[in-house]
Amino acid sequence: MTGWWDDYLWAALTVAKVFVCSLVFMVVFGLSGAAAKLSSSKPAQAVANAYTVFFRGTPEILVVLLLYFGSAVTLTAVGRLFDPSIRFLDIPPFWAGTIAIALVVGAYATETFRGAFLGVSPGSIEAARALGMSGLQTFVYIRIPEMWRLALPPFGNHMLSLVKDTALISIIGLEEMLFVAKQATSTTGKPFTMYIVVGLIYLAFSTLVTGLTMALEHHANRHLRAPT
Amino acid sequence: MKVEIALDALPRMLAGIGLTFQLLLLALGIGTALAVLLLLMRISGRWWLSLPAQAYCYVFRGTPILVQIFIIYYGLPQFEWLRESVLWVVLRDPFGCAVLALALNVGAYVTEILRGGVLSVERGLLEAGAALGMSSTHRFVYITAPLAVRIALPAYGNEIISLLKSTALASTITLADMTGIARTVVAETFAPYEVFISLALVYVSLAWLIQRSMHRVEARIGRYATRRAG
Repeated sequence: MTGWWDDYLWAALTVAKVFVCSLVFMVVFGLSGAAAKLSSSKPAQAVANAYTVFFRGTPEILVVLLLYFGSAVTLTAVGRLFDPSIRFLDIPPFWAGTIAIALVVGAYATETFRGAFLGVSPGSIEAARALGMSGLQTFVYIRIPEMWRLALPPFGNHMLSLVKDTALISIIGLEEMLFVAKQATSTTGKPFTMYIVVGLIYLAFSTLVTGLTMALEHHANRHLRAPT
Repeated sequence: MKVEIALDALPRMLAGIGLTFQLLLLALGIGTALAVLLLLMRISGRWWLSLPAQAYCYVFRGTPILVQIFIIYYGLPQFEWLRESVLWVVLRDPFGCAVLALALNVGAYVTEILRGGVLSVERGLLEAGAALGMSSTHRFVYITAPLAVRIALPAYGNEIISLLKSTALASTITLADMTGIARTVVAETFAPYEVFISLALVYVSLAWLIQRSMHRVEARIGRYATRRAG
C-alpha cells in the first residue's frame, strides 16, 4: 500500500466532487420532474412520465455510456462545421458522468418529491391562504418544509445510490478510485489489496451519508419530540 | 439518427439476451436462498448469528456492485490457495464471478426486504398461534412466512428490476451480454445514440414485463384480500 495513499486520497476527493455536483443536479431534475407531474399541463406530464419510465428502466451504465459517447459524437460533428481538421471532441467524463447518474437518480427522486408534495396536508395550505400568504410564500414557507420532512427517508436512499453510482464513471475514463486501483495493481501485483481499499473507502462514504441523513431526519422531526 | 443502424444493431444485441437472463435468474435464485438464510440468522435472537448477518448486509449494501465485481474478478486471484481450491472453477470464469457478485448483492438487499415483511406481521396473530399450542417453527412457517411474503412482494419485484439493470455491469468484465455487445457495436459503427437508445428501450420493456408479471403474482397471492364481485 505504501506510496499509493495520496493517489487514493485524490481519487476519493474526485468521487466526493462528483457526488456533490450530481446531488445538486439530482435535486433539480427531481423537483422539475415532480413539478411537471403535478402540473395541469398534459404535455409536461407526458414528458415527465417518459423521463421516469426511461431512466428507471435503463441500466445506469448504459446512461453513462450514452451521455458520454453521444455528446462526443454531437460535439465532434458540430466542431467539424467550424474546423474540418477536428478529429474528436468530448465533454469531460466528469461532467458527462455526473449528469448521467443525476438523471437516473433524479427519475427516482421525481417520484419521491411528487409523493411528498401530495402528502402536504391541505389544512396547512388553507391556513396559509387564510393568513393572506401569496402562492410563492405558501410554497416556500409551508409546502417545502412540510414536503421535505416526508421526502427525507427515501431521499437518503437516493443519496446512497448516487455515492455508489459514482463508481460507474470510471468506465468512461474518469481518474477516480477504480482507476487508481487498476494502476496500483499493475505495478504491485496485489489486486485484492488495491480493490478492497476502494471498497472500504466507499463503505466510509456510505456510512457518512447515512449518518448525515439520520441527522437531517432528527432535525426535521424536532417538533415531534417532547420539549426538554 | 439513422434508423437502419438501430435496426441492424438490435438483432445483434438481442443475441445477448440469453446471457442477460442467465445472469438474472441464477443470481436471483442463489441470492434469494442466501437472503432466507441471512433473514433466519437476523431474526434468530442470537447475537452471534444476527450480528454477522447485519454486518454482511451493511457491507454489501454500502459498496458499489461494480467494485464488488472487480474485487471478485480481479482481486481474488491474488491468493495462491484460492487458485488451487475447488472454488477456482467458478472464479476463473467471468460468468461465475458476475453471478457470484450479483447473487451476494441480491442476498443483502432481499434480506432487508424480507425482514421488513416479517416485522410487519401483527403480534396478535403470533400470540394466537402460541395460544393454540403451535411451536415457534410452526408459527414461522404457517403464520409469519405467508403474510411476510405477501407484504415483501412489491419490494421484491423492484429488486428484480434493479438486478436486471445490474446485469449490464457484467459487460465490464468481458462478458458479451446485451450491453457488452452494444459496446462492441458502438466501437464499430460509432453510432452511440442509435445503439444505446434502442438497447435502453429493450431494457425498459423487460423491466415493464417484470413489473406486469409481478403484479399478476401479487394479485394471485393476495386474492383472498380482494372482494369478490357480486
